[in-house]
Amino acid sequence: MKRLLIACALGLLLNGGAQAAGFAARAATPAPELKAQDLAGTTRTLADYRGKVVLLNFWASWCPPCLREMPSMERLRVEMKGRPLAIVALDSAETPEEVNAFLSKMKLGFPILLDPDGSNTRRWKVFALPTTFLLDAQGRVRYVLTGPTEWDEGEALEAIESLLAELPVRSKQRESKRLTPQ
Amino acid sequence: MPDYRAFPAEGARLLLWVASERGRAEPELQAAQQLAERGMAVWSLDPVSAYFLPQLPSSMDAVPAQDMADWLRAAQAGGKRVVVYAVSRAAVPVLRAAALLQPVERQQLCVLLMYPNLYTVAEPLAAPDFLDVGNLSGLQVRVLQPRRSAATPWLPGLLDHLARNGALASQVVLENLREGYWMRETPTEFEMTESRRMDAMLLRELNDWGCQ
Repeated sequence: MKRLLIACALGLLLNGGAQAAGFAARAATPAPELKAQDLAGTTRTLADYRGKVVLLNFWASWCPPCLREMPSMERLRVEMKGRPLAIVALDSAETPEEVNAFLSKMKLGFPILLDPDGSNTRRWKVFALPTTFLLDAQGRVRYVLTGPTEWDEGEALEAIESLLAELPVRSKQRESKRLTPQ
Repeated sequence: MPDYRAFPAEGARLLLWVASERGRAEPELQAAQQLAERGMAVWSLDPVSAYFLPQLPSSMDAVPAQDMADWLRAAQAGGKRVVVYAVSRAAVPVLRAAALLQPVERQQLCVLLMYPNLYTVAEPLAAPDFLDVGNLSGLQVRVLQPRRSAATPWLPGLLDHLARNGALASQVVLENLREGYWMRETPTEFEMTESRRMDAMLLRELNDWGCQ
């Protein structure tokens, strides 16, 4: 039988369908609203992570590329412990039962948010899974990646480190502005 | 029309099965054979192979709509009730062909679209943009959307687009399935089972739909 590899990612199948996904640096733009419950039922928004670099990953338990990159996100979490990075994985349009069934097989230490009605998925205009956004500490979108990667190495780690490196600089700028006589 | 396989049957319905940009998979041919054994004739077309195009979504946009329209007319001329079943980006040439039909011809057509891809652009943080497929007034369209797909949250927008072009559009979500479940590298048990009974799924959906 003719076996074909099909990406979960609709976006990967569009006009430039054969092209590999890659990091896209964006001019800093305010992030769309994020409002979703975690597995404990607590509502989370981006304000909860303000002051930190945020890795916001849209995924689903049925999506093999999503699951392939999850262990690298967990390794990143462990390696970055104590540094101002928040890793948040938002499950797109599945039930809590489906998500919990997956999490019983893969232990993850970062927060999982739920989007059962797909409203966050639509607000962020996510057409492919996985899709990941890197936000700076001001809550602005700086990088977008459609498709999976190894988050604890290479280009992905460099992008995260570059945003983390901005933190002291930004803080100094704010401090300087605050001290400037008006 | 080149590169198609016909599965004749004596029944009153003819299914035009238009394979996706990935070509035809064996379970699709088996389903076509099974449908014919159950009385529904099938003409199975692989447009990308027919026009020697690469197996890419954009190739479907290059399939001549007039050729497809001629094919639809030839099918209708046989006197059977014609249903088109198009997979993924194959929706584009099928809808464009339907738009070329006379209104009375178009109204006699039923079109089933399996996870249709009608986007020109679908990028993160940007509003989706759909291809212009022409005037679909009076065309009966039903979208079959596997639940486990990144496209599922976007189904309402797709139906709105079809309706804005004049189609009478409706949807059915296929639970516990992913797009292209019959040709997955690592199918679930359920997907394997459903791959073997695609004929039954199509008959069920057609009968439930009642497109007349």
